[in-house]
Amino acid sequence: MKTIFLSIAFLVLLGGCSEKLVRVMPYEKEYFAQDKMSLSPIAERAEQEGHIFLIREASAGGESSFQGGCGCR
Amino acid sequence: MSLKHILISLFSILILPVATLASNLKDSASIGFNTYNDTGEVQVYSPTLSLFKKFSSHWMLGLKMRIDTITAASITNGANGGQVDVVTGASTTQENPFDDIRYAPTAMLTYDDGENTLTFGAYYSTEKDYEGKSVFTNYVKQLNEQNTALGIGFSQSFDKWMPVFDRALPKDNRNETKLDLSINQLISPTFSLQAVYSYMYSEGFLSSPYHYVPQDDIAKFENYPDVRTGHAFAFKGVYLLNNANAMNFSYRYYFDDWDISSHTINVEELHDFSHNFTSGLRLRYYTQTKSNFVKDIGSYTTDDKYFAIDYRMSAFDSYTIGVPFIYKMKGGDKMTASIDYYQTTNNDYIKSWYGVDNLQAVFTTLTYEFDY
Repeated sequence: MKTIFLSIAFLVLLGGCSEKLVRVMPYEKEYFAQDKMSLSPIAERAEQEGHIFLIREASAGGESSFQGGCGCR
Repeated sequence: MSLKHILISLFSILILPVATLASNLKDSASIGFNTYNDTGEVQVYSPTLSLFKKFSSHWMLGLKMRIDTITAASITNGANGGQVDVVTGASTTQENPFDDIRYAPTAMLTYDDGENTLTFGAYYSTEKDYEGKSVFTNYVKQLNEQNTALGIGFSQSFDKWMPVFDRALPKDNRNETKLDLSINQLISPTFSLQAVYSYMYSEGFLSSPYHYVPQDDIAKFENYPDVRTGHAFAFKGVYLLNNANAMNFSYRYYFDDWDISSHTINVEELHDFSHNFTSGLRLRYYTQTKSNFVKDIGSYTTDDKYFAIDYRMSAFDSYTIGVPFIYKMKGGDKMTASIDYYQTTNNDYIKSWYGVDNLQAVFTTLTYEFDY
């Protein structure tokens, strides 16, 4: 619970400061519409390998997306 | 910053404002086919289907279906699969006793007003010896003229083991709680960063019901602690090198209360070969430490409380190299594909259980996406 509270507090504090973080104007965002500028350029691969690495390795997390469980683990 | 300011900020983030901006939702669908093959004699062929349908300007329903056809399911445990019967006494006279099919549907409901995206979802997975049930929710708030995005996600699973032979598990459940916090920030017109923190709590039967200690003097199944708490910190970024090339990179640090910690580095370079075809190269390196209860093979005694022979509880590294393909068609349809090769370092536990020095795998994806 402490971790959850501190994490939410962190986001709130960060959100409060975010007005100073306007760095890219709307007319400058054309590159971010390109596939190669995505953090997950191939969504299906990201989903599949997330599942594979979850099965083949002992670590998890850090992908900010939901990953359902299965008996392979 | 005062407590009042914090509470006001929290309230403004968690409560959806009146919708006034344009939604990013659209009707779309995809079909795909994924494969996975490894030297542990596991082969998985997975058709996938997803469908997203708007039913108002701000609301959308999503359905995803994945079917895994598995030619060597978890119960075979690789090359030593038949040996499980020595411990369990289970019969092997069934036809294709280890083949399995996993059905995994996911349903999602998404609200999006251009500044706030809220998703609720439910996941169900059923296979011969395991049932997975999860609910999840995710909220993303765009700030700062969409230069900053704050995200919070939560999922809770209620899974259940159903071993294919008559084994009374100390617990048959595996419940997992996961909280993800993320922040995306545009740094420049050609550079964006993301930071993610994940909290994970697992409770229940956390080992495989089939793994057993391969020692002549011990007839024991694996036994892990029934609670595990993990944390992951990840940093990701994408940087435009020039008009035709972009570099995608990420780093993750993970640790848990079983004393497993890991570092993961992923780098991918993507190149536009034409206005509608993009490809490149990705490299991934992973290294982890061992758990605090795993012992060397052959060194367990009947007095031990925990038994672990799964290589994932030991220290090892892995390497992945892959090639992605993105092909955009007329009308906005898109075809994506990928092929990756994965290999672990040599490992005594892999040698003992799978009969090979290391695990090598090839996995592929092929997807066709379109709006309708």
